[in-house]
Amino acid sequence: MRRRSRLLRGWTALVLLVALQIGLAESAHASPADTSAAARTKTATPIKHFVTLMQENHSFDNYFGTYPGADGIPQGTCMPVEPYDKDGRCVEPFRVTGRPVVDLGHTGNIHKAQYAGGRMNGFISAFAGQRGVGDLAMGYYDDRDIPFYWNVADDYVLFDRAFTSAAGGSIWNHFYWVTGSPGNRKEDALLTKGFDHVPTIFDRLQAAGVDWKFYIQNYDPSVNFRNPGSGDKASQIVWAPVLNYERFLDDPELRSRIVPLDQYFTDLRNNQLPAVSYIVPSGASEHPPGSIQAGSRFVRGLTNALMASSAWDSSAFMWTYDDWGGWYDHVKPPEVDKYGYGFRAPALLVSPYAKKGEVNHTTIDFTSQLKFIENNWDVEPLAKRDAAANDISSAFDFAAPPREPIVPSEQRHVPAPPAPATWIVYTLYGLALAAPVLIMGFSRLGPRLRQQALARGRS
Amino acid sequence: MVAIPGVFLRVWHIDSLGVNSDEAVYAGQAASLAGDPELSPFFPIFRAHPLLFQGMLSVVYHFGGVSTLAGRLMSAAFGLGTVVLLYFIGRLLYDRRVGFVAALIGSVMPYLVVVNRQILLDGPMTFFATLALYLMARFAQSLQPVWLYAASGVLGLTFLAKETSILLLGGVYAFLALTRTITVRLRHLVIASAIYLAIILVYPVTVALSGASSTGRNFLVWQLLRRANHSWLFYPSVVPVAIGIPVVLAAIAGLWFLRKRSAWQEKLLIWWILGPVIFFEIWAVKGYQYLLPIAAPVAVLAARALCAIPRRVSIRRWRLSGTALFLAATTVTVSWLLLTSVVKIMPATAGTAFLAGTGGVPGGREAGQWIDANLPKDSQMLALGPSMANIIQFYGHRKTYALSVSPNPLHRNPVYEPVNNPDLAIRHNNLQYIVWDSFSAERSPFFSENLMKYTKRYHGEVVHSESVLVDTPVGKVEKPVIVIYQVRP
Repeated sequence: MRRRSRLLRGWTALVLLVALQIGLAESAHASPADTSAAARTKTATPIKHFVTLMQENHSFDNYFGTYPGADGIPQGTCMPVEPYDKDGRCVEPFRVTGRPVVDLGHTGNIHKAQYAGGRMNGFISAFAGQRGVGDLAMGYYDDRDIPFYWNVADDYVLFDRAFTSAAGGSIWNHFYWVTGSPGNRKEDALLTKGFDHVPTIFDRLQAAGVDWKFYIQNYDPSVNFRNPGSGDKASQIVWAPVLNYERFLDDPELRSRIVPLDQYFTDLRNNQLPAVSYIVPSGASEHPPGSIQAGSRFVRGLTNALMASSAWDSSAFMWTYDDWGGWYDHVKPPEVDKYGYGFRAPALLVSPYAKKGEVNHTTIDFTSQLKFIENNWDVEPLAKRDAAANDISSAFDFAAPPREPIVPSEQRHVPAPPAPATWIVYTLYGLALAAPVLIMGFSRLGPRLRQQALARGRS
Repeated sequence: MVAIPGVFLRVWHIDSLGVNSDEAVYAGQAASLAGDPELSPFFPIFRAHPLLFQGMLSVVYHFGGVSTLAGRLMSAAFGLGTVVLLYFIGRLLYDRRVGFVAALIGSVMPYLVVVNRQILLDGPMTFFATLALYLMARFAQSLQPVWLYAASGVLGLTFLAKETSILLLGGVYAFLALTRTITVRLRHLVIASAIYLAIILVYPVTVALSGASSTGRNFLVWQLLRRANHSWLFYPSVVPVAIGIPVVLAAIAGLWFLRKRSAWQEKLLIWWILGPVIFFEIWAVKGYQYLLPIAAPVAVLAARALCAIPRRVSIRRWRLSGTALFLAATTVTVSWLLLTSVVKIMPATAGTAFLAGTGGVPGGREAGQWIDANLPKDSQMLALGPSMANIIQFYGHRKTYALSVSPNPLHRNPVYEPVNNPDLAIRHNNLQYIVWDSFSAERSPFFSENLMKYTKRYHGEVVHSESVLVDTPVGKVEKPVIVIYQVRP
């Protein structure tokens, strides 16, 4: 009998063991590997894909002036409406949400008037002659307006000493972004003959055999410096400097690298993201009075797609703003040469190697990105500015393994649900479970106790 | 002996398929109770049902970590407990042989086997219901009120396992009221009712003390106003097959041929069956596993019939050995049940019906795990229906909405969050993926068509798919069952 029960126990244990073994077997999945040509190119850092995007027209204080831990709007700031009137009215920075926004001027002359010889007190008076501007330059946005950007800053890197390269507008700054120089050294304007005499980072990369692409949102290939277009289309050749070069238009190999933005998503999906990607927007540039939320969603779409791709583990995505847009910024830009720096603009870096939630205080400008590209892919500097610039490597932590992608939310400070009082559940359900056991226990013990009591009574 | 097939059928390939929607919810609730940080955001503790089973499972999760295998094994353990109770009920009501046969039937019955292999509340509920049946039988036999109190307490636990078991009270009331030989004093009945009430109050009290009263109220309103999900033919066509046709026939035959020997025992078993059957046949909302508590009394009635075959049977000129006939009938019945159970739990066939409660969902776990391993954290997705959304949330740890969840609060389960404007959500980059699945598509082609429109409208690109092999006239063909699209504005 005992032997049989032992045998039974053995069989049961065996059945259980086999079933457990089968049950525990799980299929494993590996992340798709990055098989792009860029992944095979030798680099100085783990970054195999560098993506840079240039948005439009916001100063650092305009977007992050109230961001905790950043060099934001100082306490007690009040901008004089008339700088030379000591007893005159002044305007404190205010949240601009709800007010109509116009395209503030952002030319070299406006910059100069706002800079006011280093006094930094001309941010309102610079627009004295313009109707409908008033004190708008002192307006700022915060996390209620651009929650995604603030969430990115919380999770990745925000640069609070990122200066625009030139104390001027879009053209100089975009040329600094790709050539390390202003392009047109005489004025902040395009040249009708083109810029073939100015080397670009793409020339360097092409010569070194490093894969690159220039992605343009709503790209119209017919619009270039030979046919500048008009209206909104005209901005295409300002924001994409490569469209001002004979060689980039006429050389089929080079031209094939200037592509519509849809190609960015296709390249990510097909494991073909190049080593260096430049992106310029069209409708979602955040250029006032355009919707900053639309711009934020545009950027989110680009970073989300990168995070979902095989390139993520070896990528860095940086975006910044081509000029300050006429908005107030309290930091006096350093003078590095006769072109700049200009006022600060927001700059953010998203990468699996980016330090988490760091406000980076390194002084950088647009050429710092060139410097990083040059160092990483071992190509020569383009000009004095990028040769001398700080690069952005202090924002990375290459000693740590790449971080898992986390899609920053479009909501800010989502309240965590109240922690449920689990002890209530355990206590009450535990008591309920014990109740029938106690009743049954009583059914056994009760009669016995009564008998014992009766016996005691008799004795 | 009886336990061996019972154990085997309940644990063989038990985790070969991923969890289905209901399992995901209960395991998720248990994980939330255990404080699991990955599942807590997706599975609030207070959703629909009481938390007895989830609470017990959470203790396992607290010490051993969250695993579907542990949940399913715990459910299987309750199932084996039911088998043991069947033996004791059969022995108590009739004799040891009936107890043995009833337990044997219970251990291989497809209805019990299939449900016991899943993290569902119905297995534990059936265990407590069967225990209450045993205690009621003890009361009916001895008329000692303590057994009535114990039965009330266990019926209370049955409610805390799943509140639908309140229907068993109808059967208990009918049995006590209509059985002349059983007399109950009003005082005893009041005490028993008080015990029952005190125990079931745990459910609303925990909900209220945890500040989730509105959840409970909303769920109740929704349950009362839910649309019918099956016709009245659902149970007649599904449950007898799940219990086993020979078992049902044997039970009915026994009741007819042995009607002269009928006493309170049969009344107890019949009323235990009729309470839930009558209610759920009338009630618009039906579910495969809702009638599981009747499996135990049906098994006992069938065992009683099989064991009542006389020692010698004469049919016209044929004289047969009754023992051989009993062995043959029992063997045929048990073999029938065993084969049906094996077919139902084989990995190749399990889960293909996609009838809620019948098994896991092929590809669901694999799709969820792929999402967890490959898609960015905090990315959000849109599935076709809430069932797949639950599975994706459980394995994929990503917020998943369901297109078929109505924006009208009267037409949706209050725990589900609708996407009022999917276009806007995709345009705002708040939804980055769309998950289509063939199971939900089969049930709601309208929403399937709409979901596919979003994939076309928003540059949907397939990033992953899960397939199953299906038989076709040209041989086995891989058919995609779950497809994940990346979408962008």
